[in-house]
Amino acid sequence: MSSMKNDSVAAGGRRPWWLGLAILIMGALWLNGARGIASTTNYVGLGPAAIVLAVGLVLVLLGFLLIVQALKGQLASSAEDEEEEASFSRPAFLMALAGVGVPLLTICWLGFPFSAMLAFTLVTHAFGSRRTMLDLGIGALIASLAWLGFSRLGISLGPFFPLLG
Amino acid sequence: MDILNQLIGGFAVALQPMNLFWAFVGCGLGTAVGVLPGIGPALTIALLLPVTAQVNPASAFIMFAGILYGALYGGSTTSILLNTPGESGSVMTALEGNRMARRGRGAAALATAAIGSFVAGTIGTLALTFLAPAIAELAFVFGPEDYFALMILSFTSVAVVMGRSMVRGFAALFFGLALGTIGIDTQTGQTRMVFGTLELLDGISFTVVLVSLFAIGETLYVASRHSVAPAAVNPLSGGSWMTKQDWKRSWKPWLRGSVIGFPIGALPAGGTEIPTFLSYALERRLTPHPEEFGQGAIEGVAGPEAANNAAAAGILVPLLTLGLPSTATAAVLLAAFQNYGLQPGPLLFATNPDLLWGLIASLYIGNVILLILNLPLVGIWVRLLLIPRHYIYGGIVVFAMVGVWGLSTSWMDLALMFGVGLVGYVARVHDFPIAPALIGLILGPQAEIQLRRALAVSQNDWSVLVGTPIAATLLTIAALVLVVPPAIARLRRRDRAEGEPATSAG
Repeated sequence: MSSMKNDSVAAGGRRPWWLGLAILIMGALWLNGARGIASTTNYVGLGPAAIVLAVGLVLVLLGFLLIVQALKGQLASSAEDEEEEASFSRPAFLMALAGVGVPLLTICWLGFPFSAMLAFTLVTHAFGSRRTMLDLGIGALIASLAWLGFSRLGISLGPFFPLLG
Repeated sequence: MDILNQLIGGFAVALQPMNLFWAFVGCGLGTAVGVLPGIGPALTIALLLPVTAQVNPASAFIMFAGILYGALYGGSTTSILLNTPGESGSVMTALEGNRMARRGRGAAALATAAIGSFVAGTIGTLALTFLAPAIAELAFVFGPEDYFALMILSFTSVAVVMGRSMVRGFAALFFGLALGTIGIDTQTGQTRMVFGTLELLDGISFTVVLVSLFAIGETLYVASRHSVAPAAVNPLSGGSWMTKQDWKRSWKPWLRGSVIGFPIGALPAGGTEIPTFLSYALERRLTPHPEEFGQGAIEGVAGPEAANNAAAAGILVPLLTLGLPSTATAAVLLAAFQNYGLQPGPLLFATNPDLLWGLIASLYIGNVILLILNLPLVGIWVRLLLIPRHYIYGGIVVFAMVGVWGLSTSWMDLALMFGVGLVGYVARVHDFPIAPALIGLILGPQAEIQLRRALAVSQNDWSVLVGTPIAATLLTIAALVLVVPPAIARLRRRDRAEGEPATSAG
């Protein structure tokens, strides 16, 4: 566990060059996208591709700058951040991430209330709660109340339980 | 006198029982989210955006205004009692306020914060009342090139002022601008950057991005680092309300804080944080009791608290008169206006006076409500902190899902929430500011429209962009904002000892 943590610090915490790379790739995507936008010739002024192109160019430039900064060590976090970095908990992070991601898998066939209940329970467990039944119950209550309350306000949160049609 | 008549009309709107009810709801919610860590006014209003489909605009904005001010009142409470600022505008309050609480002067600190907020909020609202119509009048002469220049100024100042380095600020800004280009181009009907999906044709919803960056990013961040033990609540020991001495030491900082806060809040990248820093520094210099600073000086609570509330009123000036948001919260308010098909700006004062003046009048009323809610009832609000943290964050995720899924029950929105939430987490870990991304996303498409309009009118003559004195001046200021801070930093670096590596300059 501790070696994993050190790896993550070495890869991401001290010299986060991948941050710049991500921005650079995003910029490249936008540049590539700009090529695919047909420019209309009968339109006076700037066409629809110009802004996409400009944004892509600047993103590539910024990504490049970020990589340079990271490799020079200028992106290294301050002392306070290092302290926080040291207390990073991978299982808790993954559990919370699962909580945010689980509705993607379930919402189409379990509906909002059940998906929200699962998300709620996973997030509470990421924060260290271990009373699963109680959390499931509270999650179901909050999610159902939200579903009912917002439905009354005229905001549709989909069918209560899609499997029942 | 015209303004007074309009304001009276506004009070007639704001004092309708239904609107008073919404003002109470907003103030209550605002105080609650101010007290709770991890949720701020921007996120709360974003989660409530779906409500705009059902509630009439005046009522909705009266509620939102209550949330905006209420969060600042609530934020000071946690700063003082817990030493954990609920909002970024309350960071300075924690310095002296928490010391006061530890010395058993918590009640006095809370009182000077609440009354100072009231005084400054009212002064700021007065300034807004008389200034906004004048600026709106001015904005009538703005052409597309002037608006474009204004937005460029807004972009550069937001990217430069917020966050730790310019590159990070601009990376955040252009991330937002890039997301803003997704969807159908409004002028030619061409699709852009939709990656072959139908769901992206309408563009990426502002609500989804905001909720994901704030709520999901924050939840992931706190969850992965929650082993840090929460601070203990300082008890409100009795018998320590503000003494005569406290009043005497508080009223000047209140007024000074208001004078600092309002104009800075009204700048394109003002925000509520910078005025609190300035106010704290000023009070520290002016105080007759310098030895108390660091030990719990009441001036250090009174000044910054006044400054952040006055700044909150200042933020509304560019938003209501020019449609220019300068903070994340203002960007959400702009999104709310757009939900109603309204564009804040000079025309709105002419076409929707009831709405605007009702909103302004409700700010006066909201301040009174908040004073009542916060002075005697502060003990109740503190109880909110007894809710276990895992339930708070579990609830945040559920309501984030309501906000995102409720938009159009689209699976794509939930997937975006997941992806952008991860981006928010990375931004939080590596200190990228979030506000520039939001402002880029909401203002970017508008800036593009103004730019293309200006160029279409001028038949592609780019000199039109500096063709009017207003546009030329604004663009010059924008260039200065970009060039001056690094130049100053470089000069300072040269002045300082040569051996010192310049890590702190950026």
